[in-house]
Amino acid sequence: MERFDVELRKVTKRFGEVTAVRDVTLQIRSGEFFSLLGPSGCGKTTTLRMIAGFEIPTSGQILIGGQVQGHLPPHKRPVNTVFQHYALFPHMTVYQNVAFGLEMQKVDKAEIAARVGQALELVHLTGMENRKPKQLSGGQQQRVALARALVNRPKVLLLDEPLGALDLKLRKNMQIELKNLQAEVGITFIYVTHDQEEALTMSDRIAVMNRGRVLQVGSPEVIYEQPENRFVADFIGETNFVTGVLQRAGLPVEIEVAGQLVQAGWLAEGVRTGETAVLSIRPEKIHLLPGSANGEAHQFGTAVSGQVERTIYLGTDTRYLIRLDAETRLVVRMQNTQVGHSHFAIGDTVWACWNPAHARVLSAEE
Amino acid sequence: MTAVTKPTTTILPESRASRQERIKTQLATLGLTGYGILAYLFLYLPIIILVIFSFNDSRSTAQWAGFSTAWYVEMMQDNQIIISLWNSLFVAIVSTAISTVLGTLAAMAMERYRFRGRLVMDAILYLPIIIPDIAMAIMLLLFFNISGIGFNTWRIELAGLRLSVPYSVIIGHVAFNISFVAVVVRARLAHMDRTLEEAASDLYANAWHTFWRVTLPMLMPGIIGGALLAFTLSLDDFVITFFTAGPGFNTLPVRVFGMIKKGVTPKINAVSSLMLAGSLALVLISIFLRRGDDRGGIEIV
Repeated sequence: MERFDVELRKVTKRFGEVTAVRDVTLQIRSGEFFSLLGPSGCGKTTTLRMIAGFEIPTSGQILIGGQVQGHLPPHKRPVNTVFQHYALFPHMTVYQNVAFGLEMQKVDKAEIAARVGQALELVHLTGMENRKPKQLSGGQQQRVALARALVNRPKVLLLDEPLGALDLKLRKNMQIELKNLQAEVGITFIYVTHDQEEALTMSDRIAVMNRGRVLQVGSPEVIYEQPENRFVADFIGETNFVTGVLQRAGLPVEIEVAGQLVQAGWLAEGVRTGETAVLSIRPEKIHLLPGSANGEAHQFGTAVSGQVERTIYLGTDTRYLIRLDAETRLVVRMQNTQVGHSHFAIGDTVWACWNPAHARVLSAEE
Repeated sequence: MTAVTKPTTTILPESRASRQERIKTQLATLGLTGYGILAYLFLYLPIIILVIFSFNDSRSTAQWAGFSTAWYVEMMQDNQIIISLWNSLFVAIVSTAISTVLGTLAAMAMERYRFRGRLVMDAILYLPIIIPDIAMAIMLLLFFNISGIGFNTWRIELAGLRLSVPYSVIIGHVAFNISFVAVVVRARLAHMDRTLEEAASDLYANAWHTFWRVTLPMLMPGIIGGALLAFTLSLDDFVITFFTAGPGFNTLPVRVFGMIKKGVTPKINAVSSLMLAGSLALVLISIFLRRGDDRGGIEIV
C-alpha cells in the first residue's frame, strides 16, 4: 500500500453560515511537493490551517503520518508552517526565532546551536544570527521563516503563499530555490498559492480548488493538458471555450460549433448527445493554414474555417483572433519561427486545425 | 537652413498678482507662528512662574525678592510633607502594580475572547474614565462603609518613617486605574498580529509558553505605558483620595490642599515644582522606552 503523509477524508469546515471547505478528500504522498491552487476565498488556506491544527474540521478526518489528528492543537502535530507574512517574532533575533521550536521541544543547548547553524546555512543566512527581523529584507525574512520551520525536521512543511509578498524577480528565484530545498531535505511540502504559474513550476501534484471544493488533482501536465471542467481549464493557462451542440459521444467526440462539425479527444461525464456543451482547446494547440490548403488542413485531424479578425505580435509568437461566425471567435497562438515571415493578414480566410487529442468537450456548467 | 537659437535666460519682473500672493503667504506664516507662541505661553507661563517663585527669597508669591533655596530646605524639613510624599509614592506603587496586572488581564479577556455579556462588560470596564471623580469618590466611600473595610490601615516602615495607609485609598486607586491600563493595553493588543501566537503554537509552544515568550513581550510597551499612566494618575489624584482617606491620612496633593487653606507660601510652590519634576521624569522615561521600542522593531500603538 502506498504511504501517505497527509490524508484528508471528507473534510468540511463551516464558519457559521459560510462553508469554507466542502467534502474535501486528498491523499498526499511522502516526499511530495503538493500544491493547493485556487482563487482567493476558495478554501485552500482554510484547508492548510486545518492540517496545521489552527482550525478543527466541522466534519471529516485529517490524518498525518497515519495518525488521526482530531482535536490535537498545533503544538502537538508533527507539521510546521511558513506563514504568508512570515510571522517572525519581532522581539527576537534571527537565532532566537529559529531556535524557538527546538527550545520548546526541550532539545539541549548544544544541539540547538548545531541545528540552528545548519538551518541558517541551508537558507544562506549564516552570519545573520544576531539581526532582528526588521533589519532584514523581505527575501531574507522569508528565509528565516523557512529555517525556523525546517529546523524542527517536521514530517510535513505547510507553506501559505510564502512568496506572495516578494517582488516578481525575487519570487522567481525563490521558486527555484524552494524546489531545490525540498529535494535536498526530502520533506513533504504542502504549498498554498493562487499563482497558477508558480504551482505549475514547482509542484509534483496540484489540487485545484474553487468554492471550497477540490475540482481536480493531478500532475501539472495533467492539470494543464487534461482539465476535466471549465474552471480548471480556465484558471490554469489560457484556453478557448466554444459553445456548441454535442453530436457524438463516442470517440472521436464530435461537436457542432458555428455550424461546423469538429472533433475532440475527451468528453466530460454527464454530457449527452444533442445537449449544449463547451469545446475547450488551448491557443497554442491550434495551427493555422491558408484557406486554399483544404486537403492539408484535414490531415491534422479536424479543422474549422474562419477569417483573421485581429493579429497581435508578441515577439516569440503571434496571437490571432479568428472569427468563425457572428458570435464565435478562436484565439490562436503561433510561434514566430521564421524571420520576417508574416503568416496571415487581417481578413484572410484560414483553416484553424488541431489534433483531436488536444481538444476536450466539457460540461456547459462550471 | 537651420538657425541655432540660444534659450532665453532673461529674468522677468515679478507680476503684481504673484507679489500679492507672496506677501499673503508671508503674513499668514507670521500670524500662525505668533498664535502658536501665544498658545504655548498660555499653557506654560503659569508653570514657569510657579517654578520661579519657588526660589523666591520672601514669603510673597507675587513679588520677587532674590534667589533662594530656603523653601526647598523648609519643605524637606517639614515632616508632614515628607510623610505625605511617601504615602503618595506607596499608594502609587502598590495600586499601579495591582491595576497593571488586573487591567492587562481584563484587556486580554475583552480583546481575545467572545463570551456572553462581553459588550456590556466592555462598556462597564471603561466607566471609571467617564464618570466624574466626585461621583466615584462618593460611591467608594459608601462602599467602604457598607462593606466594613472602613478606614483600616496598612502599617509599614518606609525610609525610616512609620506610614499607615488606609486600604480604602489603595483600593480606590486600583478601581480607577484598571480602566486606564485596560485601554492602553487593549490598543496595543488590537494591533498585535495574531499569527505570531499561531506561529508560536505551530512551533510546539503550549498556551503558557506562548503567553510568556510571545504575547507578553509583544504587549510590554503597552503594559509599561499603562503602568506609567496609572502611576501618574495615582500620584496626581486628589478627589478620590480625599474622600476615601479617612481622618489623618494625607497624600501629597491632599497635604498641599490642607496647606493652601492656611495661605499660599512659596513652600507650596516648591512642593508643586517637585511634583512637576516627578511628572516630567515619568514622561521622559516613557518617551525613552518608546524610542527603545522603535529600535527593537516593535510597532508603537
